[in-house]
Amino acid sequence: MPIAVAFARAACLFLLALPPASMARAGDWQTPASQLAQKIAAIAGPGAVSMTVLNRSSLTPDEVEKIQNALLRELASFGVQPVASDQAAATVAVSLSENVHSYLWVAEIHQGTSEPVVAMVTVAGRPAGAGERPSAPLTIQPSLLWSDENRILDVAVMNGNPPTMIVLESEKIALLRWDKGGWQPEQALSVAHVRPWPRDLRGRIILSKDHLFDAYLPGVYCRSTATSPLSVACDDSDDPWPLTGNQRDLSAFFSAARNFFTGALSPGIRKNTAAPPFFSAAPLPRDQYTLWVFAAVDGHLHLLDGLTDQALTEQSWGSDIASVRSRCGLGWQILATSNEPGPTDEVRAFEIPDREPVPVSSPAKFEGRITALWPESDSTSVIAVSHSSATDHYEAYRLSIACVP
Amino acid sequence: MKLIGFPLLVFLNLLSAPAAAAAIRPHYGGILHVQMESAVSSLDPLDSDQGDTLVADNVFGLMFDTLVRLNDRGEPQPALASSWQVEASNQRWEFTLRPGTRFSDATPLTPEVVAACLRRANPSWRVLPGETTVVIQLDAASPDLPSQLALPRNSIAKWDGAKAVGTGPFVVIQWDPGKKLVVSARDDYWDSRPFLDSIEIDMGRSFRDANIAYDLGQAQVIEIPAELAQHASQARQARESEPVELLALLFAHDIQSPEDAKQRQALALSIDRNLLNRVILQGGGEPAGGLLPDWLTGYGFLFPASANLTRAQQLRAEVPQTTLWNLGLDGSDPLMRLLAERIILNASDAGLRLQLANQRTPDIRLIRVPLLSLDAHVALSQINRDLGIPPPKFLDNSVDGLYHAESAILHSERVIPLLHLRKAWAVSKSVSNWEDARDGAWRLSDVWLAAGKP
Repeated sequence: MPIAVAFARAACLFLLALPPASMARAGDWQTPASQLAQKIAAIAGPGAVSMTVLNRSSLTPDEVEKIQNALLRELASFGVQPVASDQAAATVAVSLSENVHSYLWVAEIHQGTSEPVVAMVTVAGRPAGAGERPSAPLTIQPSLLWSDENRILDVAVMNGNPPTMIVLESEKIALLRWDKGGWQPEQALSVAHVRPWPRDLRGRIILSKDHLFDAYLPGVYCRSTATSPLSVACDDSDDPWPLTGNQRDLSAFFSAARNFFTGALSPGIRKNTAAPPFFSAAPLPRDQYTLWVFAAVDGHLHLLDGLTDQALTEQSWGSDIASVRSRCGLGWQILATSNEPGPTDEVRAFEIPDREPVPVSSPAKFEGRITALWPESDSTSVIAVSHSSATDHYEAYRLSIACVP
Repeated sequence: MKLIGFPLLVFLNLLSAPAAAAAIRPHYGGILHVQMESAVSSLDPLDSDQGDTLVADNVFGLMFDTLVRLNDRGEPQPALASSWQVEASNQRWEFTLRPGTRFSDATPLTPEVVAACLRRANPSWRVLPGETTVVIQLDAASPDLPSQLALPRNSIAKWDGAKAVGTGPFVVIQWDPGKKLVVSARDDYWDSRPFLDSIEIDMGRSFRDANIAYDLGQAQVIEIPAELAQHASQARQARESEPVELLALLFAHDIQSPEDAKQRQALALSIDRNLLNRVILQGGGEPAGGLLPDWLTGYGFLFPASANLTRAQQLRAEVPQTTLWNLGLDGSDPLMRLLAERIILNASDAGLRLQLANQRTPDIRLIRVPLLSLDAHVALSQINRDLGIPPPKFLDNSVDGLYHAESAILHSERVIPLLHLRKAWAVSKSVSNWEDARDGAWRLSDVWLAAGKP
C-alpha cells in the first residue's frame, strides 16, 4: 500500500489577537533535554561528570540558562551528577547549535584519552523576533485574525451567530466558523481558473446581501450560493472590482495578467472617468464631495475630486492604501503602507485636511511586508495581510483606529 | 600574482549607489542586465564541464524546472510534480505531473519526456511513464529521492536537435556560448509570469569591466569574486550567500601505508586556514574542518579547522622518509595559485614536501566543490560524486547518520577540507526583491525593477 506523502498545504494555524512574535518561539526544552541527557547517560554511565554549555545558535541567554538547568535536572534523573572538572570521570561539552531545519544540540563526551563520543538531538522550532506596537494619541490597533502558510489575498468576517470568516487564497476560499473559542475550518471551496495567476497575486472578497459573497481575482469572478451547502462558481471575467467594501461604490478594472488596476473606473468620479494605473485607492468623504486618493503604479499619489487630478510626487506612502471611518480627528483616515525597503513593513494613519497628507498616528509595525490592504465592508476597519519574515506565514490582521483623548 | 588591491579600490565605487528604490508593490517589465566573470559554456544541465557550477545552475534555473524544488529549509516542495507517493520500502516512487504544463515551444509536458530526461541523467534508474505520472523504481531505498530530483542535473528538458527546451519561467532569445545569454519572460509560465520582461547576461567579464558597467548603470547585477565577498557585505547593495563552495585538497589515491596516513594528517594539521581566509580571501569564506558547512548541518564545529603545527611536526617525525607530493590546481585561477603557494609554505613548516606541478595526474589537487543542495544528505552525496570518491554510507536519515557518514569520509584521509567560500553579487538599488538565498541561488522570477514600466 503506498504511503501518501502529503503535499496539500498543512492545515491553517489558528491564532486570534496574538502578537506575531509569540507564534514561532519554541518553548518546550524539557523533552529534548531529557532525550540528550538519556544519550549522555548511556555513553558516560552514571557517575560524576563536568558539563559545559556553549550557545552557537540564536537562542537567548535566558533560554540557554533554562536549557542548561533542564539538562542538569534530567542528567541527575539518570544518575549523572554534575561536579567540577577535576573531580569528574567524564567531561561533557554541550553545544546548542542550529541548522537550516531546526536547533541541534550536540554533546561531546570525553572519557580518558579516547576520542570523544558525540550525541545529538534535533529540536523543532525556530525563534522569532519580538514585534512592538506603537502608542500614540491616535492608535492603530491590529488584531490577528488568521495565519496560513498559503498566501492570503483577503479576509471577510460576518458578524452572525456564530460569526463566520471567509479567507480568500489563490486556489481556495476557506470558510471558518467561530466555535469553542476559536475559528474552526468548516468548508473549503476551490477557485477554478484556466490561466496561471500573475505573480504578486491579489484578490478581494466582498460580502453580498442576496448571496454570501463575491470573490474577485485577476481575470476571474467567483460568486457563492446563498444557502448551505455552500458552493462557488468561478468564471473568466473582466468585471470591475469594488474599491470599497460596498459593491455600490466606485469600481475599477483590474488587469487580468498583472497586479494593478488599469485606471478605468466604473462609473467614474463625476467628471473623472479614469485614473492613472494604480495599485490601490481610498475615498475620503467631504461635506460636498468625496476625494479619492489613488496610489498609482508610477509611485505617485493622485487626488481626484471629480474635477481635477492632482499628483503628489513627494510622499512616503507605499502601494497599498485603504480608508477607515473612525470617531477620531476628521472622522476618516487613510491607512497607508510604507515605501521604506526592507523585510518589515508598517502601516500609518494619515489625514488630508487640505491637499497634503498629514500623519496622525504612529506606525503599526509588522514583521513582514504587507501584501494586501483592503477596507472591510462597514469601513470601520481594514484587513491587512503581512507575509511574516520570521514564520514565513501570511498573517491577516484587522486594523482599527482607537482614539485617545 | 593577483592584484587584490585594485579590485578593492574599484569596489569602493559600489558604495556610491543610485537613489533608493521605494519598497512598493512589484512592477512588471524591464530588462535586468547581469555581468559576471563566470562563463557558462552550454545550456545542457547535464554538461558537467561548466567552470562555476553554482552560476551555471542558476542560469539553468531560468529555462528549466525540476519535478521538485527545495525550500530554504531544504524541504521538498511540488514543482513540475504536483504530488508524489512512495511505497514503504522507499524504492518505488510515483510522481504525478502538474496538468497543463507546457514547454516554451508550446508542446505539453508529458510523462514520456520526463522519463526520458531522468533516464538520461540517471542511467541506473528505472523510470517508467504512466498516463499522468512517472514511476521511479530504484534498486535500493532512497528516502531522499525528491531532494535528488531537485538537483539541477535533473532538470526537465526536451531536445530539439542540439537545443534544449524547458518549462521554466524564461525562454532563450540569444545564446552565444560562454559570452552572452538573453532570455525573455514567458507569459504562460505555469508558476506565474516573472516580473521582468527579459534578462541579459554577459559572461566572462572581468570584475573591473563589470564594475565600470555597474557604475555607468549598464549592469544592475555583477558577480563579486570570493576574495572581495567580505568587503561586499559591508556595502549595502552587495549581497552574499552563506559559504557554499568547498575548497579542499583531494588526494588521488586512498591511503597507501601507515606512514602515508601520518603525512596526510600532518598536512591537514599544518595548514593555517584562518590565515588563508583572512589574508588571501579577505574573509570571503570560513575555515572548514568538514565537507558540509556548519550553517547547513549545525555540527560543523565538531571537525577542527585550526592548525596545530606542533602536532603536525610530531606526526612528520614519526615518518622516516617523507613523500614528495605534486600539487595540481583546477583551472588557471590566480587565486587558487596563491592559496596553493601558501599551503606549500605551511606544509614546509611541518617538514612535509609539497610542490606545484602541472602534470595531469598530481598526487593532490586543490579543488573547489559547490554545495548543490540544501538537503544535507544529498549535498554530501553530491560532494562525494564531484570528488570522485565512493558515496557516503548513511545509517539512517537523521543528523546523527549524516554526521557519522561525513566523519567516515574525513577519516579516510582522501580529502582535507580547507575553506567554505561565499558567492557574492553587487545588486543595484533599482533591483527590488532580490532574495539572499542561503545557497546563493537566484530567484529572478520574483525580482523586479523600480524603473520598469507596468
